[in-house]
Amino acid sequence: MSVAGETVKKEPIAGEAVAALAARTSFRFPRELVIGLVVFALAWEMLSWIVPPFVIPGWRRIFTSLVELPVDFVLITLARVAVALLLSFALGLALAVAMYLWATFERYARPIVRLFMAVPVICWILFAVLWFKSVEFRIGFVLVVTCAPVFLIDALDGMRGVSKDLRDMLRSFRPTSAQFFTKLVLPATVPVIITSWKINLSLAIRVVTIAELVGAVSGIGYGLTIAQELFSIADVFAWTLVLVAILFVAEGVLIAIETRMLRWRT
Amino acid sequence: MTKPAEIEVSGLRKVFHQTGTGEAVVAIERLDFRIRPGDRVAIVGQTGCGKTTFLNILIGLDEPTEGRITIGGRKPYEHFDDFRGVLAAVFQQDRLLLWRTALDNVRLPLELLGRPPREQEERARAWLDRLGLGAFEGAYPHELSGGMRQRVALARAFVIEPALLLADEAFGHLDEVTSASLRKSFVELAQTEGNTAIVVTHQLEEAIEMGGRIIVFGRPGHVLADINLATYPADKLGRLRLDIQQMLQTNAPDPEMASLTATEPA
Repeated sequence: MSVAGETVKKEPIAGEAVAALAARTSFRFPRELVIGLVVFALAWEMLSWIVPPFVIPGWRRIFTSLVELPVDFVLITLARVAVALLLSFALGLALAVAMYLWATFERYARPIVRLFMAVPVICWILFAVLWFKSVEFRIGFVLVVTCAPVFLIDALDGMRGVSKDLRDMLRSFRPTSAQFFTKLVLPATVPVIITSWKINLSLAIRVVTIAELVGAVSGIGYGLTIAQELFSIADVFAWTLVLVAILFVAEGVLIAIETRMLRWRT
Repeated sequence: MTKPAEIEVSGLRKVFHQTGTGEAVVAIERLDFRIRPGDRVAIVGQTGCGKTTFLNILIGLDEPTEGRITIGGRKPYEHFDDFRGVLAAVFQQDRLLLWRTALDNVRLPLELLGRPPREQEERARAWLDRLGLGAFEGAYPHELSGGMRQRVALARAFVIEPALLLADEAFGHLDEVTSASLRKSFVELAQTEGNTAIVVTHQLEEAIEMGGRIIVFGRPGHVLADINLATYPADKLGRLRLDIQQMLQTNAPDPEMASLTATEPA
């Protein structure tokens, strides 16, 4: 169709709209984060001067341990977390879609999911040790069974939370079921899914460490076990530092993805 | 554009049942009228007179309890998919998808119709230009003012060249200047494109500005008056607003006006 008709009189350009366009995000130095960390590091160092080093080791001792830590343990833990999170996400999202589409399935499945979420992580670890022989399978099982329900419930709640107004608007254009889902329900759920990733990332790193403490012969958790057996407090703090750094970097990556994907938010 | 078809409303009744108590609430008592292809119709009435319910049934989002609405002989709520690309609605709130830019919001209905991406983009851009938003095609809804957002919603409705264009209190919540400007745009565009246009409003000014036919709804949904402004006596036009107001207050037809109105029995 030609839309060459007379142009409707233009509304004066709204100042706030121009300002909003101009204010689109640029990089901002995380000043508060850096200052907070420096203050914490200084306080720690001063504490190490007055407390025995086997209780609070100084930064020099910790860094000496840090550079001697086996890097492959870090990579193994990272790989376990990454694979398990991807599997949990795929499983959680697939089940969430199924539960969204089939109400009867949801009625039966939701209580079971809630039951899974109520079981403490340590119980899952014990079950895994008793049930499975393979160490990798044990760790993977514990991570998936802990993280997948969080993805599932969050995604399902996100899908159910799409407003009736938007649903009616889209339905008025007569979309197919697939279009309704891909053009409205899924994109509307993205913010919830990203939040779910943040929660699960932190959860997975804590859970994998505990799982490795109990049943593994590699990974950060196993490194912590050895440090404890050798009573090397500096190694314990060095591993802790690695875990915290992993969490910070991974969260930073997620926040960068979030900022990019959700740039439409105010 | 699909050729506009006649709308026939016959013995239409809608009763809702309150959740919990199950108490019946009559939203539409009885409606009977016809709307000719290409007509511009304003439906006015007080809050709770069933205007939006009527529009929802017309869009196909709801079904009547009794009676029927047909567009070109087919019921929009039964032959739902037959009306793909035939009708478009502008709602009270803009109902834009927040994760889509202005351009992507306007192209949405074309995506649903499976039009080629290039055509989608060209037509969406042309409509944004026509409504004075060419410079803001890359802006997200939160970066636009209320009036601009509603213009995007207008463009989204017009872009599929619907035979039937519906507006539900679409301009009433904006400031008077923006509201008048958008009403003008709506009427001009509907005239240029030759669509049948139905505007639901509680504002008499808006109904009169539409310049076509005014159907006055009493509470609960029934026709108090059906006024054709083109044939309405010129000497009575000056007090039309007051006459309608009085009718709405008493919720009863004005016998004098009844003799002047152009009701078309279904």
